[in-house]
Amino acid sequence: MADFKRYDEVAIGDLYPPEPLRFEVSAAVVDGFLAATGNDDPRYRSADGSRRAPSMIASVYLIDLLNARRSPPGGIHAKQALRFHRPLAVGETLKIQARIVDKYVRKERPYIVSSFEARSEDGTVVASGRVTSIWGRDQ
Amino acid sequence: MTSPDARSAMSNVPQRFAVGATLPVLTRDVTQPMIDAYAKASGDFNPIHVDPEFSRTGPFGRTIAHGLMTLAFVAQMLNDWTDGQFDECGEIDIAFVGPVYTGDHLEISGVVEDVISSEGRLASQVKLICKAGDRQILAGTALQPIEVRKA
Repeated sequence: MADFKRYDEVAIGDLYPPEPLRFEVSAAVVDGFLAATGNDDPRYRSADGSRRAPSMIASVYLIDLLNARRSPPGGIHAKQALRFHRPLAVGETLKIQARIVDKYVRKERPYIVSSFEARSEDGTVVASGRVTSIWGRDQ
Repeated sequence: MTSPDARSAMSNVPQRFAVGATLPVLTRDVTQPMIDAYAKASGDFNPIHVDPEFSRTGPFGRTIAHGLMTLAFVAQMLNDWTDGQFDECGEIDIAFVGPVYTGDHLEISGVVEDVISSEGRLASQVKLICKAGDRQILAGTALQPIEVRKA
């Protein structure tokens, strides 16, 4: 049995993962992201104990989230909406979960739309958004 | 109809957030090692990004960069423009309309096309520009709430 889901197994309303994913905004993750994107903004380099993280670290935890969706390899990221609700600090842990909100076929391509929220430990929303993907070949 | 208070606020919008203002230009030269490094940093090892053999049979015929890597560049540019305010309360809504290939020279910028009232605050609505040569890479907008000086 394949370890990914087929397109016809995905339904609007599906929640993934079943329990929110935990993502630690660690210094290592932030440093890796900054290095890979050539970002040397001193805003993220403060060593005074309250180091700020780039909000676009969302592009890292979104991958963890999309992996939890168990889509087949070869899928394409078609659209992205993001809203940041407050600044993020290194050391925070986020809880992230998404729901399938739409599913359609256009030009013979199978699309899936998910909305997600990333919340801090106290439950406040840190970031939210919507991801539209073309499902990878599943047969 | 726009109220006198709203008109007053509009007239005090800082120049860089006003209609017609152009955003900074951020450039990046994309290489396969850069794509591979982003895959490692993000954990996204989708073969269309990192596996040339797999990608030859895909829709693009070769590897393409991660869309979210390009979006990270867009966010950098928006933070440059806003002195980091994009990180605090910015919004973005885009479609990836063209692939980014190894060897592409990306140019990322934007133009303020409107200043609107959003949830009780003024916000600059930006038309994003992201291209590789003549090819458009993404289409969409950013929305940035702005602080308005007292008259």
